[in-house]
Amino acid sequence: MRTRCGIMLAAVGVAYLTVPAVAHHGFDTEYDSTKTISATGVVSKVEWTNPHMHVYVDVTDTAGKVKTYNLELTSPNAIQRQGWNKNDLLAGEKVTFKAHAGKVEEARAALDSLVKTSAPNQEIFKGQRPD
Amino acid sequence: MKKMLLVAAAIAVLVPAFPSGQRGPAPAAVVVGQLDGRPVVQPPQRGASYRDSINPSDPAMNGPVPRMPDGRPDLTGPWEGGGSDGDIESDGGLKKGELDALLLPWAKALKAERSKAIYGEPYIYCLPMSVPRINPYPWKFAMTYTSKGLQYIYALHETGDAGAHRVIYMDGRKHPDPETLIPSWWGHSIGRWEGDTLVVDTVGYNDKFWFDAIGTPHTEKLHTTERWTRISYGTLVNDFTIEDPGTFTKPVQLRFVARIVKPGVELMEYICAENNQIGLAGGYLKPGSPGIAGGPPSIPK
Repeated sequence: MRTRCGIMLAAVGVAYLTVPAVAHHGFDTEYDSTKTISATGVVSKVEWTNPHMHVYVDVTDTAGKVKTYNLELTSPNAIQRQGWNKNDLLAGEKVTFKAHAGKVEEARAALDSLVKTSAPNQEIFKGQRPD
Repeated sequence: MKKMLLVAAAIAVLVPAFPSGQRGPAPAAVVVGQLDGRPVVQPPQRGASYRDSINPSDPAMNGPVPRMPDGRPDLTGPWEGGGSDGDIESDGGLKKGELDALLLPWAKALKAERSKAIYGEPYIYCLPMSVPRINPYPWKFAMTYTSKGLQYIYALHETGDAGAHRVIYMDGRKHPDPETLIPSWWGHSIGRWEGDTLVVDTVGYNDKFWFDAIGTPHTEKLHTTERWTRISYGTLVNDFTIEDPGTFTKPVQLRFVARIVKPGVELMEYICAENNQIGLAGGYLKPGSPGIAGGPPSIPK
């Protein structure tokens, strides 16, 4: 069950992360499809860069230690073609995300889903941007 | 003159597509016509491939071929597909093992070595893909007319070419003397029309790029012939011939099919080397490695 769940989530991840990594070497080359991360934190940076977008989220644990997650998406062009723009996610916004951990660098993760805590039912950068 | 028979109405579903993870019925490969006695098949959508193009079952796909003021077919696009990203053998319509059977021993050994390498491919370090590579982003033929008519066609890819353009000379010139030609990623391309088919003849390639993601190799003896035929509004066929006596025991004939993008889809800026972090999460490469964000732009050994 856990394995199937992991595969399903990996498939979801592919919607975000398309090329070149997945197209050429498979999701499992870079990411751990069985290890999901779910956390809430504050966006520190959104990189609308090629080849892929990256969203950086600072997550503070119960001891007050901050860990920065570097979440990889697909290309900014693919996301812009769905109607999203630079104002849809800004540094300083509080978000909850799910991601697949990097196989070695766990905090370099493949983003599965991301919502703002202020609007938990609306995934950001996935599918057509709502009007 | 190529014999072209377009059977626009003959749309047949062939095989179910790969699971795409998307809602709704699975997309399928679709026969959209015939060309030179062979079916033209629009492949199914897989992942991000054909994400921004018209569905092959849409009647708009079968509309007439638009023409330029001089009567030539308008090949502009933009298009998606028309080449291979993963495996030229299967994507080009050959049976499994058919292409590899033509490889000379050294080429077979190199391909096997490359297939084991993780992140050895030049393209993922933002170097050009060259022919017949196509990734899941739009590309176009920019047909450039001057006072003398159609003089150049530029092949422009949103990505996969490290921001470079490829020029196809349409002014009647010949290839330079091979003794003087410096091998390059896109080689030297000259084009001509055979009826409604654009024939692109290219020599002078370097041996650095891979034909596909699994490392099918070639040498500087490579000579390619692309025959591009727009058979309808939505479909552009690329009959692609590889001649490389340094790699293959005989010429290789492949067929790829491109699909027109949806209205409003334009090529966008894509500077691949800007922030390439491939290989870092998996621990295969370190920040600042050649070709990786913060590192020099070169091919790792």
